[in-house]
Amino acid sequence: MEFSLQNSIVNFLQQCANGLEIGSFYALIALGYSLVYGVLRLINFAHGDVFMVGAYLGFFISTALLAPEGMSGLSPIATLILAIPLTMIFTSLLGVSLERVAYRPLMRKGAHRLYVVITALMCGLILQNGNVALLGASHSAFPELVPVVVYDVWGVNINNVMLFIVITAVLVFLALHFIVSRTRMGMAMRAVSWDKFALPLMGIPLNKVIVFTFVLGSAVAGLGGFLHGMSYPVLEQDMGASIGWKAFIAAVVGGIGEVRGAFVGAFLLAFVETMVNAFLPSTYSDLFAFSILLLILWHRPTGIFGRPLTAKI
Amino acid sequence: MQRYAINILLCAAALILVGLAHAGKLDGYVLHVITLIGINCIFALSLNLVNGYMGEFSCGHAGFMCVGALTGALLSVALFTDSTLFGTAIFASHWAPFLFPLVLIGAMITAALAGLIVALPSFKTRDDYLAIITIAANLIIISIFNNIDAIGGPRGFLGQQQTINAMSNFIKLPWMLIWTLIGVFICVIVIRRLMTSTYGKGVSAVCQNEVAAEMMGVNTNRVKIMAFMVSSGLAGLAGVLYAHHIDYVNPKSFDLLKSTEGLVMVYLGGMGSITGVLMAAVAFTLLVESLRFIIPMLNNGLHSIGLLPESYHLDQKWAWVFIPLMLILLMRFRPEGFLGNRELTHVFPRLKRWITLK
Amino acid sequence: MPLLKISGLTQRFGGIQALSDFSFQLEEHEIVGLIGPNGAGKTTVFNIVSGFYKPTEGKVVFNGRRINGLKPHQITALGMARTFQNIRLWNNMTVLDNMRLARYAWLGYSFWSAIFRTQRYRRAEKNIENQAREALEMMELTDYAEELPKNLPYGLQRRVELARALASKPRLLLLDEPAAGLNSSDADDLIHFIRWIHDEFKLSIWMIEHQMKVVMSLCQHLTVIDFGCTIASGTPEEIRNNPDVIKAYLGDDTL
Repeated sequence: MEFSLQNSIVNFLQQCANGLEIGSFYALIALGYSLVYGVLRLINFAHGDVFMVGAYLGFFISTALLAPEGMSGLSPIATLILAIPLTMIFTSLLGVSLERVAYRPLMRKGAHRLYVVITALMCGLILQNGNVALLGASHSAFPELVPVVVYDVWGVNINNVMLFIVITAVLVFLALHFIVSRTRMGMAMRAVSWDKFALPLMGIPLNKVIVFTFVLGSAVAGLGGFLHGMSYPVLEQDMGASIGWKAFIAAVVGGIGEVRGAFVGAFLLAFVETMVNAFLPSTYSDLFAFSILLLILWHRPTGIFGRPLTAKI
Repeated sequence: MQRYAINILLCAAALILVGLAHAGKLDGYVLHVITLIGINCIFALSLNLVNGYMGEFSCGHAGFMCVGALTGALLSVALFTDSTLFGTAIFASHWAPFLFPLVLIGAMITAALAGLIVALPSFKTRDDYLAIITIAANLIIISIFNNIDAIGGPRGFLGQQQTINAMSNFIKLPWMLIWTLIGVFICVIVIRRLMTSTYGKGVSAVCQNEVAAEMMGVNTNRVKIMAFMVSSGLAGLAGVLYAHHIDYVNPKSFDLLKSTEGLVMVYLGGMGSITGVLMAAVAFTLLVESLRFIIPMLNNGLHSIGLLPESYHLDQKWAWVFIPLMLILLMRFRPEGFLGNRELTHVFPRLKRWITLK
Repeated sequence: MPLLKISGLTQRFGGIQALSDFSFQLEEHEIVGLIGPNGAGKTTVFNIVSGFYKPTEGKVVFNGRRINGLKPHQITALGMARTFQNIRLWNNMTVLDNMRLARYAWLGYSFWSAIFRTQRYRRAEKNIENQAREALEMMELTDYAEELPKNLPYGLQRRVELARALASKPRLLLLDEPAAGLNSSDADDLIHFIRWIHDEFKLSIWMIEHQMKVVMSLCQHLTVIDFGCTIASGTPEEIRNNPDVIKAYLGDDTL
């Protein structure tokens, strides 16, 4: 291929488009990290694996709906419309039960925060390895629910699934932003992060807020998992670790605890990664992503949107 | 004399162990497990310095082990063996038993320097954010080594065990076991001496109240650099021993799962307790190894009482479901670990008569 | 030459002016006080002087040397020690170890001496141990040497903190509300005590205090600040009758 300015512009735009798609997945996971951290000051390390479980649940639910045994199944579109909310419901149940079974008893006991973080890390390991142990390392293939249509915009390839994913991510972000900043529940969520003890004074029980946060975060992660399955049909058990970690970094870079931060951080990270991939072997993308994280945290420990920490005497 | 009883006892135990191994009374697997226990002891003790005594939450400790393992392996190959990578050996192979400490020291120094990746950001960052930095450091280190093709990249590096073989050719002794025991000994001594000195107590002061520490004349930044460098240097020691024991190191063996193993041992034993962490390292290694036997037994048992369908078999993949589960239960019901931040001598004060604390 | 000379100190946090144009001077062997209503910026002054904050503007000279810009531990090494409004002891180590650590800036041995237990290390540690015990003895805390500070009653914890500050042998001692949480008779003890350490160790003391009894009976000179501005300074007598001070404390209406 002849190297020309036009080619490199097209290449750049193509990478931008890819970055938008990957950024959407990061955003959908990062939002959950941020929500939970904002309320509980807990890094919910199991969250990436909730995303992974979402992808698998989406796979099982949609294959089951498409072709239930002995019956003719639903049409792909009807499956899509039904499977997405079902996946979200199941992942939010998973998120809430993690909170109930693993985190809440520890927190109620007044255990050191780090113990809760380690417990979360362990829960993630259980989800990931439990999945490997149950399903084996065989790769499951996500059914095609929407026929992929590729548009060629000035040489840049964009497909309908990609568009769907990016639009969904933006809508989810706007919805969450609205919930956190405008609704009574959102106000309560913000209040908890400031003062856990003043919250009951507002007339909202603390546990309700916490459960609500986990429902929101896990449902969005489940949605992310489902969409990821639609775009990359081969499912792997370690996607919770690989994509989840990146999303977590995105949340931190943006300022963990801030919904806006998670969103901006996700796209920032995705762009950096795709740009690195465009010019260097793909094995370098991790190196760059994590180095950027390190540098940002070093100079601005609380991320782009985070409130700077002030020590008091 | 009485005060040295335990020290003498431990030395005797080590000698007996080496003697048994030398006489061939221990089979290869037992020897392997014992060596692994030793390596895990060093790894866990080194992590304990940061997570236990200094109260930071390093989740990426395996990264420093990785640095130690790979630089140690490279040094070992370069110094003592003929290889395509470095050409002929620098020293004749019969020098190996005497000059092997060079490899250990080299690996420790590089690992300690790698510790700066975490130490420098720790001036401004604490808690969660520092935890994230340690994770990033771990992933960065792995991905650096993955991208160096000369040492095999993701495929890994091998050949360093020839150094150990060269030692055995020179004098027939269980060298791997000997070096591991020496490593554990050094590690315990260094941490013990450090933490009983006023200099080292600066680390505890930073843990408990950093502001007061700085205000009372403790150079907290220097304390942090020191703690992180010692900690990662010792992790490097664990790494170089591991590399020579397994004879094959690829960066993937030192991912976050390995770091998590370190965390499990530290929190199982009790943060800031040397004896507790040593006990935990032994218990944890034995547990992981015993799952190799327990899981098939469980599988047979469940099949025989018909709780598992014939088509499904429990296999080793369940090991890493059981291990985190156990840790979760531990956190829930005994969050302070075996000993909390106390030593065995605090739990059983009578032991004090038999042991020197210096 | 004054021991401590502060000129034109200003501290802004974002848009908030916590301290504006604060100037102050303290002579050797003086006891002076810094008073003012809550949130007036008193602790901010101490935090700047002890190096915890970097002032936006201004200069702090201690013992002839400019110290703003130095790290707190460097300032401690120059001979300044402080206590805190809310007690900040190291609760995970014994009272004796707390005293030991106050000698940290004068350790006199390196990491390697600690690892190899050199002669130098042993001599230095012995020295530190002696000075730590001395500090405890002086403050009548020897009985509690092996206790953890968190297990001691509040009054004793305050004393341990004071002992720790004295163990670093300061020339200037900053006391941030030493009488906070003490009842009237404890406060009387404290007054005697501070007077005693002042005479015994020939040191200068600068204190923030709310209990007027303590301030009035100890301090030779007082500075009053409100909203970060100096509103008065003078002898306790002058301050007591200064209308601005009364207004700052009691509000306008009462006049």
